[in-house]
Amino acid sequence: MAATQEAIRWAKQFPELGEGPIPVEPCISPEIYQQEIEKVFKKTWLNVGRDEEIPNIGDYKVKRLAFAKTSIILIRGKDGKVRGFHNTCSHRGNKVITEKGEETFGRSKAAVVTCRFHGWVYNAEGKIVSLPEEEKFLPCFAKEDNGLTAVHTDVWEGFIFINLDPAEKVQSLSDFLGTYKDHMGGFPYKELEPSFNYHTYLDCNWKVAHDAFAEAYHVNTIHAGSFPNVFSSGIQHVRFFGDHRTTAVCLNLEGNANPVSKIATQRTVSSLVVKRDGRSMLPPTVNPDKRSDFGFELSVIFPNILVHITEGVWFTHQFWPIAHNKTLWEGRYYTRRAETNSQRWAEEYAKVLQRNAWLEDTATMEDTQDALESGAKKYMNLQDDEILIRHGYHVLEKYLSA
Amino acid sequence: MTTDVLKEFSGLAPFVDAWSLATEDERRAKRKSSTKEELQAFYNAMLPELEKILDLADQYPKGKMPPEVDTYFFMALSLAEVAPHIELYSGNPNVPFSFTEERFIALHGQDRG
Repeated sequence: MAATQEAIRWAKQFPELGEGPIPVEPCISPEIYQQEIEKVFKKTWLNVGRDEEIPNIGDYKVKRLAFAKTSIILIRGKDGKVRGFHNTCSHRGNKVITEKGEETFGRSKAAVVTCRFHGWVYNAEGKIVSLPEEEKFLPCFAKEDNGLTAVHTDVWEGFIFINLDPAEKVQSLSDFLGTYKDHMGGFPYKELEPSFNYHTYLDCNWKVAHDAFAEAYHVNTIHAGSFPNVFSSGIQHVRFFGDHRTTAVCLNLEGNANPVSKIATQRTVSSLVVKRDGRSMLPPTVNPDKRSDFGFELSVIFPNILVHITEGVWFTHQFWPIAHNKTLWEGRYYTRRAETNSQRWAEEYAKVLQRNAWLEDTATMEDTQDALESGAKKYMNLQDDEILIRHGYHVLEKYLSA
Repeated sequence: MTTDVLKEFSGLAPFVDAWSLATEDERRAKRKSSTKEELQAFYNAMLPELEKILDLADQYPKGKMPPEVDTYFFMALSLAEVAPHIELYSGNPNVPFSFTEERFIALHGQDRG
């Protein structure tokens, strides 16, 4: 059936994004992948952590960034500021901090990091504090010129960002985020606590994974198992902020009569699919018309993180490219702290359901990649409510053709 | 008082060893390796006791229950793990139409409680 004029809203509102299908090639081409790494991931601001992960002076986090073949040390200095450095010793290039996985955490009372190879010590400003047998280094070696290699690091609303661009000066994080900050700032991110955190490696392009989470069209089919009583009632208030984008995802929540589910609803402090009353913690531009079917705000900070907010809950999906057909996905969920044991139990029930829904989401991604690589299709077709995906492709195209 | 309440749960005794599991990783593995009938039997036994267990747990500060209460609280957490499979997935021990669960790593998977 052809689209009716009434059903088409976003294409009319944003004619600059066009109406045609989008190409498959960027999801299956190793060459385009390499361009994305060089022109996007090594040049733009990327969220790599939260302030609360390293709250104290001397706390550090090491984040592996496989796409750039590096890992980054984020360390809180004596001045309270978080700085980022490549995890590479200035002596003979060993990793200063031995990694335990994608993310490694540690603490140093003196706010220093020490390379295990020969014991070089660096402070939280990246400068060499001491190195054993310093007198045996030749006069041409200048300690002050051989600190850790810094990466641009800044923080917005507790989100720690880095920019790997080696240029001395890059666009500021504030300018990069632009008016996205006005829309998504002011939500009490810090007041809600990490509730659960999953990750997996998906054999698909990062955009296949990203795009699957960037629309609500799939809810009624993909989540018929875990959320049979939740129906998407479409998206509202699509807005673009330069490279970034947002929409309200609206959901009709019908009462769930299942016994355990009902008890969880009565005992919960926060859940994505439970109606809430009371004062709003949302910024004024989010759900401005106070729709009763507002589910959550789905926003994308280009290039690779989805930040969702609603009453009492926020969550993120992040996608780290590893190869043209391999992606690290990280899902993190934050809620009000459970104060009682039964609230903790209700949190567990909400977690299980949300985890299962994410297992449903991720189920399609490798099949999609396989099918795209068959070459059977050159284009994919988007419906009007998949406008965020369309915007994403336009932004990416802009970077690649720059 | 606790002893009296615990007597009420004597019907759950056959399920304690299998289902009083402290971590999400253990609860997931147990649920996945169970049959539909085992999940149903555990669900049927637990459902009438669930609210009593939660009320008992709430007599203690969060995470600070005595071991004999922990035993039943962990079983309630197992019920949270199992319930969607009975209430939504027709008894299927796996999430239908899902990604391979073993590849989904929970950072918190070995936390107690």
